[in-house]
Amino acid sequence: MKINNLTIEEVTLIDLAGNVDANTALTIQEKVLPLAQTGRKILMDMTKVPYMSSAGLRVLLLLYRQVSAKDGRIVLVGLSEEIQDTMSVTGFLDFFTTRETIQSGLEALN
Amino acid sequence: MMDNVNFPFSDLIAGYVTFFDSDNDIFGIQCSDGREFLVALSPITYAKLIQNLGEPYPDATGAMRSMLTPGRYLFTYGIFYPDSPKFEAKQVIFVGRTSQDYIFEKPHWWINQVHSLAEFYLKAQFRDEEIDYRNYRTTLNITGIKPLDNFRQETDTISRLIYGFATAYMMTGEDKFLEAAEKGTTYLREHMRFVDLDEGIAYWYHGIDVQGDREQKLFASEFDDDYDAIPAYEQIYALAGPIQTYRITGDPHILDDAELTVKLFNDFFLDKSEYGGYFSHLDPVTLDPRSDSLGRNRAKKNWNSIGDHAPAYLFNLWLATGKQEYADMLEYTFDTIERRFPDWEHSPFVQERFYEDWSADTTWGWQQNRAVVGHNLKIAWNLIRMYNLKPKDKYAELATRIAEIMPSVGSDQQRGGWYDMVERSLEAGQSHYRYVWHDRKAWWQQEQAILAYFIVAGTLKNQEYLRLARESAAFYNAWFLDIEDGGIYFNVLANGIPYLTSGNERSKGSHSMSLYHSTELCYLAAVYSNLLINKNPMTFYFKPIPGGFPDNILHVYPDILPPGSIRIGECEINGEIYSNYDAEKLIVKLPLDEKEIKVKVKIVPN
Repeated sequence: MKINNLTIEEVTLIDLAGNVDANTALTIQEKVLPLAQTGRKILMDMTKVPYMSSAGLRVLLLLYRQVSAKDGRIVLVGLSEEIQDTMSVTGFLDFFTTRETIQSGLEALN
Repeated sequence: MMDNVNFPFSDLIAGYVTFFDSDNDIFGIQCSDGREFLVALSPITYAKLIQNLGEPYPDATGAMRSMLTPGRYLFTYGIFYPDSPKFEAKQVIFVGRTSQDYIFEKPHWWINQVHSLAEFYLKAQFRDEEIDYRNYRTTLNITGIKPLDNFRQETDTISRLIYGFATAYMMTGEDKFLEAAEKGTTYLREHMRFVDLDEGIAYWYHGIDVQGDREQKLFASEFDDDYDAIPAYEQIYALAGPIQTYRITGDPHILDDAELTVKLFNDFFLDKSEYGGYFSHLDPVTLDPRSDSLGRNRAKKNWNSIGDHAPAYLFNLWLATGKQEYADMLEYTFDTIERRFPDWEHSPFVQERFYEDWSADTTWGWQQNRAVVGHNLKIAWNLIRMYNLKPKDKYAELATRIAEIMPSVGSDQQRGGWYDMVERSLEAGQSHYRYVWHDRKAWWQQEQAILAYFIVAGTLKNQEYLRLARESAAFYNAWFLDIEDGGIYFNVLANGIPYLTSGNERSKGSHSMSLYHSTELCYLAAVYSNLLINKNPMTFYFKPIPGGFPDNILHVYPDILPPGSIRIGECEINGEIYSNYDAEKLIVKLPLDEKEIKVKVKIVPN
């Protein structure tokens, strides 16, 4: 799992690469949750995430809660079809904003 | 030098009339612990009977003097003056019309009460409109009004509300209560449930905030005690309402939810090491009970994580299914309680919090080395239910030991009722276990006492415990019912007057309050007092969905009573007499029907 982040003005772009599962969820939690600062807009690029387990979904929920509690926003981009299916079955798609590309994600945030 | 306490003050006395001297207008009253006081009537002393919800004021002032017959139990509120040995009565509350009559043991008392309670919550949450849980709010004020600026829907308060509606249906057969229970159960599944496809388990969100069409899911707990964790307590209570509804409908979706959640308990909360038991909290991402992220809740076990399975959902799941695996899980939790919780060397109260090796945790948060009186009574009550399912002597022995000890250390033997939280140990020179926060009395702890003493009395045929059950039920019915606004009060002062300053005390929908304990009490107090104590028949209602229950078998066992003590006396389906049932096994073989049916079953004592 590789995690890179880049902050430009009020938007933080988080680039994930690799499977998000029980082995990597804790690392993501430790590195990504602190980025959810007051009013922060987060764009999570998951184009290079081929698989996400339930542990990954739980991290997303915690991140979502932290961002919302601090009046921020989060948009997920580049979800694979399989991950979209998983999120749909578990009811996640309804409350996450998702876009196909970084550009459209930025537009959604702004 | 300090003065003695020698000023006039008002208070309450509960007890049995010992004599009435009509010439001097005085009577004697003997408290639960044997102390006797002299009480003076005055021209303005007024009297009433205990008043149920929805009933007109039952005045008894005119008959008061003639009702002061020896042996009668009553409450009197009045004033002590330091210059007189007589307590001056201002009010008298009788518990029945005749001296041996306990009005709350009339066959319909608790049924009428549950009806009124369910009506109150139905109106508070949904007004007179269509039942739509989108409009549900956890917060309700004392008159049942929802706030305009709070959009929180907590999973466990919805589940508790569902439990209440389902119970009201079972006792009254009114369809609107079942509609509310079923819609709530579906709402929980659609909005609060997380199915973990990798592990094959389900867990339940803490709740959601709703605003318009949007909802924000609250995954981990937001309560101070459990912050940012998945507490066993919340997962346990998420099942309370749906499973009570399953007993009525047999909806296989509910059983599926239950199985997935029980798997969560057994795969993740269960300590599979040599120590055993269930952990109290999981890390929300790793589902690890030993995660450092859990802080003070890391690798801990407590009363709730072990003891709450049985009353909240597991007994009911067994009653509805008869499955051996649930009987085994029940046995495991009670064996654990019996082995780990007693702490007689140090305290008359059980130990409630533990490290993973079962060493006592006397440092945690508000609990420290303190006892919740109601938890001790809850253990006694549920041990006897378990004893009726599997008669291990150790269950009855522990239950009776607790029942024997509790009155002198946890009850108010002058005024009646049960205290809340006390220190587990006496300091040097003390003879009373100190009340931690106050000497107020909480409604749910009264419930534990009433049910504990009724079932111990009925199962072990003990008149002394029946006396304690009646005294406990009298205090609850005299002081906790909100006759004016509906529902019940959260706390009363030691003297029975409602305590209504702010916060929880003025709330009727909040965490733990929402229609669960009050209707559980109505249901089980009715079952125990009617079927076990007074040998009155009771009627229950079910509405199985076509093909819902496995093999079309409806289990109608109302609770776990002594084996052979009850049977089915009569059964109707859609108003017609129906005879395909096994009276002794308490099961009805349902007809193969594609239409919805309503089953009415009369249970009679043997």
